[in-house]
Amino acid sequence: MSSITAKAGVVTPAAPARRRSKIDRGHWVGLLYIAPAIVLVTVFFVIPLGMTVWMSLHNWPLMGQHRFIGLDNYIAITKDVRFWNALKFTLYYTVIVTIAIFAVAFPLALFVEKPRPMTGVYRTAFFMPVVVGFASASLLWAWLLNVDSGLFSPAAQQLGLTEKKFNLLATFNPAFWSIIVMVVWKVAGFTMIILMTGLQSIPTELQEAAKIDGANAWQRFRQITLPLMRRTLALALILSVAGSILAFDQFYILLRGGPRNSTITAVYWIFNQSFVSFKLGYGAALSMVLLVILVTLSLIQLRLLRNPEGT
Amino acid sequence: MKKLTSLLAATAALVSMTTLASAAETANIWVRADGSNFMPQIVEAFNKSHENQIKLDIIPNAELVQKYATSAAGGSAPDGLSLDLIYTPAFAAAGQLEDITDWAKSLPYFKDLSPAHVTTGTYKDRIYGLPFSADSSVLIWNKKLFKEAGLDPEKGPTNWAEIEAAAEKVNALGGDIRGFYFSGACPGCNIFTFTPLVWASGGNVLSEDGTKATLNDPKLREAIDFYRDMVAKGLVPEGAQTDSGANFFAAFAGGKIGIAPSGAFAIGALNTQYKDIDYGVTFLPGKDGGWSSFAGGDNFVVTKGTPKLAVLKEFLDFAYSLEGQTLLASRGSLPVRGDIAKEALKDLDPRYQIAAEAMAKGRTPYSVVFNDIINSANGPWAQLVSEAFYGDDVDGAIANAQETMQSIIDAGTGQ
Repeated sequence: MSSITAKAGVVTPAAPARRRSKIDRGHWVGLLYIAPAIVLVTVFFVIPLGMTVWMSLHNWPLMGQHRFIGLDNYIAITKDVRFWNALKFTLYYTVIVTIAIFAVAFPLALFVEKPRPMTGVYRTAFFMPVVVGFASASLLWAWLLNVDSGLFSPAAQQLGLTEKKFNLLATFNPAFWSIIVMVVWKVAGFTMIILMTGLQSIPTELQEAAKIDGANAWQRFRQITLPLMRRTLALALILSVAGSILAFDQFYILLRGGPRNSTITAVYWIFNQSFVSFKLGYGAALSMVLLVILVTLSLIQLRLLRNPEGT
Repeated sequence: MKKLTSLLAATAALVSMTTLASAAETANIWVRADGSNFMPQIVEAFNKSHENQIKLDIIPNAELVQKYATSAAGGSAPDGLSLDLIYTPAFAAAGQLEDITDWAKSLPYFKDLSPAHVTTGTYKDRIYGLPFSADSSVLIWNKKLFKEAGLDPEKGPTNWAEIEAAAEKVNALGGDIRGFYFSGACPGCNIFTFTPLVWASGGNVLSEDGTKATLNDPKLREAIDFYRDMVAKGLVPEGAQTDSGANFFAAFAGGKIGIAPSGAFAIGALNTQYKDIDYGVTFLPGKDGGWSSFAGGDNFVVTKGTPKLAVLKEFLDFAYSLEGQTLLASRGSLPVRGDIAKEALKDLDPRYQIAAEAMAKGRTPYSVVFNDIINSANGPWAQLVSEAFYGDDVDGAIANAQETMQSIIDAGTGQ
């Protein structure tokens, strides 16, 4: 629920309002064309969002009667240490995983962008994990990471790297980095495709001209490639950050929030409050807080990556 | 005249028959997937022999509560529900269940019904749930490994020192074979199999009425040290630390574990799916002997305001009959009627007797926030289990869990 509303909040900047000034036939036809979209957004975003706001003002148990309590849920959130810890962890994860994804995806994009033999094969291979759902990917890695019957631990032992089987999921750092590796494996292909389209939109004449002027590869990358990819980077960055802040599946399936509750993300906490503690109203209030945080972050990113000349 | 009366009688009979036929009703009940081994069978037997019918839906374990809550809100809740007994107080507190006190007390064998079920089925002195299926925790050991390790395969451990000594001997067989197993990241498994060790030693984790967390009980600390000791000695496989329950049964069934705390359900599962494993069943002992058990299973509860109460009563009467109890027992659910338990079990695997005895004296923690404090993978009990068995700061973990648990209880009962 929260992930849908929050994501939709990022990608639907309201556009049609500007046309109001001239009321002519074109106006109505235009309205007709966007009507299906408006209906979809209303039914699947605006109404659920309104309901979430409404619920967040109630003590709304999963079972039984709900009652209006005003802003009590929001006041409780300010004192909810575990939510803020979860949020802190989520931000830490977002920073690390975003850097990791870009560190892998950018070189991959540079690699597959140029025409070379078997480009199609490479592109497909790198993109393949993206089409696997997060839940199924997590299950696959749950097996790979299993200490007794998986791949990594027994393999490391048999190769003589570790003396006995090492439980990767038992302590924070190995568990956290296992997740990072898995997410990068799963997501980097998607970021790669976005970055690749950005790279391909840069006119080759510019690169050639710079080459003739004697710019080396690094200079060309800094002065031409990066500035011209500003919008693409912004898109990839916002998608990556939004996706990471809403992370849930992998931590739920692979780690169950462990070891020792150290990997509980914000959405995980919302899920727990709503469906383990049965406090739907409080979960709704938490979702609203997360939505506000996410929208703010996205606006900041858009502003930072805006073209200097304006939009 | 005679003709007329006979005609009248015939008509009356016909009328009564048709009303009876049209009066045949179908009640809808739900059960969690854990019950799929016995529930379809007893429903089928009931439907064959009764006019009124039961329609059964099997719901995945983890989805039952949410699904029930949403259908109750939408007015499509089932008429009755076989509900994990620990949830009964929470459901009753939420006002979802029909008060069945009068019906329950009218049953001639009411006092012989599983006390753990009746206790959790009672909320504010009214009864909302009656025992349906039962599972108790016991200790199981691998007789083949015991023999190979030079231990008496027919005698199970009777206190902690004996468990540890036997586990060490089995462990010494080497290879993949390990002495002991528990699911280190599974709060549900450990409330089921670890707390009985504490109870049998005279300690507790929660006050009887569920209002006070007692995780600072010194007996709990001793039990933790017992497990830590076995972990430190390498008697437990590495995977146990992160096992969230997937291997709870499978580890022992693999035949490479000497001793494992488990449940009565394991008897049915081992007998049907792992016929080559030779195992013994005994009680979960206290530190210096004695024993205890967690009485688990399902309570049968009735959705508030259902028009099909009579059908549900009929069904429960059938389940409580000797025929019903025997059928349930043969499918792996222990009898819930103490007065006919022996008779229902007499033709079954004798190891069930131990489990049934454990059930009769079993205990169940009582709390309206059980899911929050115990079963949640991120709750205080889960935190305690993983930190205390494997962490470096046991006292800190206990203090922390005690505080968290108490604050959840206070918040939950204050509503």
